[in-house]
Amino acid sequence: MPKHTTTSGGAARVPEHITTTNGARHVPQVAMSSMSTLATRTGSWKYQYPAYHDRVAPCNAGCPVGIDIEGYMNLLREGRVDEARDLLLAENPLPAVTGRVCHHPCENQCNRRALDEAVAIHAVERAMGDLAHQRPAPVFRSALRPERVAVVGSGPAGLACAYHLARFGYGVTVYEAAPAPGGMLRLGIPEYRLPRDVLDRDIARVAAHGAEIKCGVRIGRDISWDDLHRTFDAIFVAVGAHASRALGVPGEDLPGVRPGLAFLREVNLGGRPDLGRHVVVVGGGNTAMDCARSAMRLGARVTVVYRRTRDEMPAIREEVEDAMREGAEFVFLANPLAFTSAAGRVDAIVCERMALGEPDASGRRRPMPTGERFTVYADTVLSAIGESTALDGFYPDVQGSASGLEVDALGGTSRDLLYAGGDVTDLERTVADALGAGKRAALGIDRHLRKHHGDTHELNALRFGEGNLSAARWLRRDPIRRTDPINQVVGVDDLNFTQYQRVRRHADPHLPSGSAVTGFDEVNAGLTASEAMDEAKRCLNCGVCTECDVCLIFCPDAAITHAEGGAYVIALDYCKGCGICAAECPRGAITMTQDRP
Amino acid sequence: MSQLRINELIPEGRLLASGHLACPGCAAPLAMKLALNALGANTIVVMPACCYTIIAGPWPQSSLQVPVFHTAFATGPAVASGIRAALDTQGKFDTTVLVWVGDGGTFDIGLQSLSGAAERNENILYVCYDNEAYMNTGIQRSSATPWGAWTTTTPAQFPEASNKKDILAIMAAHNIPYAATATPAYPVDFIAKVNKAKAMRGTRFIHLLSPCPPGWKCGDDEGLELARMAVQSRVFPMVEVEDGQHWRVTMEHAGDPVEPYLRRQGRFRHLSGEQVTHIQREITARWESLQRRAQAEPLVPAGAM
Repeated sequence: MPKHTTTSGGAARVPEHITTTNGARHVPQVAMSSMSTLATRTGSWKYQYPAYHDRVAPCNAGCPVGIDIEGYMNLLREGRVDEARDLLLAENPLPAVTGRVCHHPCENQCNRRALDEAVAIHAVERAMGDLAHQRPAPVFRSALRPERVAVVGSGPAGLACAYHLARFGYGVTVYEAAPAPGGMLRLGIPEYRLPRDVLDRDIARVAAHGAEIKCGVRIGRDISWDDLHRTFDAIFVAVGAHASRALGVPGEDLPGVRPGLAFLREVNLGGRPDLGRHVVVVGGGNTAMDCARSAMRLGARVTVVYRRTRDEMPAIREEVEDAMREGAEFVFLANPLAFTSAAGRVDAIVCERMALGEPDASGRRRPMPTGERFTVYADTVLSAIGESTALDGFYPDVQGSASGLEVDALGGTSRDLLYAGGDVTDLERTVADALGAGKRAALGIDRHLRKHHGDTHELNALRFGEGNLSAARWLRRDPIRRTDPINQVVGVDDLNFTQYQRVRRHADPHLPSGSAVTGFDEVNAGLTASEAMDEAKRCLNCGVCTECDVCLIFCPDAAITHAEGGAYVIALDYCKGCGICAAECPRGAITMTQDRP
Repeated sequence: MSQLRINELIPEGRLLASGHLACPGCAAPLAMKLALNALGANTIVVMPACCYTIIAGPWPQSSLQVPVFHTAFATGPAVASGIRAALDTQGKFDTTVLVWVGDGGTFDIGLQSLSGAAERNENILYVCYDNEAYMNTGIQRSSATPWGAWTTTTPAQFPEASNKKDILAIMAAHNIPYAATATPAYPVDFIAKVNKAKAMRGTRFIHLLSPCPPGWKCGDDEGLELARMAVQSRVFPMVEVEDGQHWRVTMEHAGDPVEPYLRRQGRFRHLSGEQVTHIQREITARWESLQRRAQAEPLVPAGAM
């Protein structure tokens, strides 16, 4: 962050009266030194040079959205809360949402795990997102552009693309087929994980930046794709994946067997269907967990049937824990073979016991049939084994239009000025990935419409490591000035934990599970503002100088001093290049280099 | 804040000039810088022959911005006693007389004059920065060299056969007001001990583990990490003794195995697994003995790091 410098030059003089000999004036009776060692330029001994180079924190590189997490943690540490909020909002339009529902891969990357536990980044983000509702950030828009862009779908990908395009100065219209915006955030994720007022306020931020959101309009049915192409200068497709994948076993069409997504959509729009006493959920992903927990809130006893084991479940770990805490029963290594019926309605599932075999393409161990069969009774079955896309009247010639749209690094499809992102593409299906894809496409559309021909190198300069692109950097509005940055992720081995102390991570407070399942109130109450601030101070600030003085204290040659206005000066005339500053730096912000600075 | 703010616990100072002649990565000037920061400018340094005689700088230069008396190898405490008497005669009771000397001048040559000064309880602060051999003359073994170590006089085929002399116990046995171990790798602990010693009168003794990259055969930037490993593996525990009676361990010691500490240094590279096991046994025994001595004393709480 600070600007560091190095000095050289400046000679020290040997006073004349000391060098005189044979009886001249002032010759001391004992040999007495009269000057310091500054005349000895020990800097000439070295073969390597220390240099302050800020590097990349792994959380930043691991964030699919491309949020400068370390940057806002650093601002929070300094008490610059509003600037931290603005930095977060420069990359992520929906922090109150992602703070609650993101699977936070950032925390899996956190170097602090080697010391105690990861920083609860999601909790800090959530607190910042909620703060931004109370104290909104000023709306930012670049100089307005004449072009207009259509965004099809108002899920996280569509909202992110619309938000960033609006900030880049474009006119944006978002088309949503459902009666209210949000996509899967509204139709898929239950209220107890994401209260609707929180979602509404985050979406309102996108609208406040000038994006127009039109609900109840289905592109391909109400408006043709060709008409859309004629009206707008570019299109971003993010219609999501709202069709449940079929199980493909006999009896699947029996009454009482329902696609999990359709069930969630009904409940999330206010419906309270009667599911009977016992509900079986098939699947191990987030949709399955949402189905299970929603069904419990409707009074059902729930059994989750999954063909692998808990370790292979694709659902967010916390969601599985919550489902278990709330009383869902899990039957692992069970694969549905058929549904049986009684009185014209499903009454049981016949399952086959599985065993884990060799890892498959996803890296998880493949379930293998054992031949052993058993029956699970059910009044209702919710199938949640995956989602697929459905595009009405779409261009069949676009690559991947049948399965998942294929896109390039900036969201471009095989058709000119047609971009795509989110679950409709063949990329990872998470909220964070969708937000990241929306931002990438906004950047791609901006470059395309402004006929800006940047190269890969230019794009990489916008990245955190090999992570997502930074919109703040694209707008040249990155408030974090880094010292001679190197786009290299700092690992555990680059850190020195000596100066860090173990500090317990704040756990999310949960409603007692007994009362949680009686309604749809938010289960995770979140941290208080001061707890979130404590959590931010647990951040190690990997790779970025915080002016902690450790280099200055440990330099055996007293060659590092404070610079005027912050940061440090290294006196290269005296630095012997021992590398202690770099080794002792708690956060890997000093690099030893062979090149003279 | 999860990072200990050591900059708020360590006094600033500019009493050590750059341009001194220590090897790259030598911990001794770091120790000197920290000690002078704590003691301040009203300090006179007495320096028997040791690495620091060279480090301090060639005449007419001095890297120390306080008076320094270079003395013969064996005479540090005697010269310091004389300077102390001269200062006291002039009423300069506040001036600290600091003897700054290596392990050779403490453990071997100079032990008798140190013992004499301690017996008289001379009002001096004696700091031995121990790099575990006669380093600046070419890495000859001293009685501070640990068992099994290579030096140029104890080659790998015939490594050091004696145990390191327990100088802290010897000094404590003089019942002096204060004796302690420290290392510049834990500067907060070191500064706390210097401050404590400064506030006392009589003979005060601090034994510093001071890594020497050429002598230990480690990287220039590895010394401080090695010193911390020495502490955490209880090779060199952080201890203080008051009046020769009250023993106290001044920080948590993880009790890590000693092998990684040994294996990172070329001077121990020749050691067999059996020899490492032997060293580990010795460390454990010494630690248990220290625990018995320190049993009655609580661990110093916050601040000591």
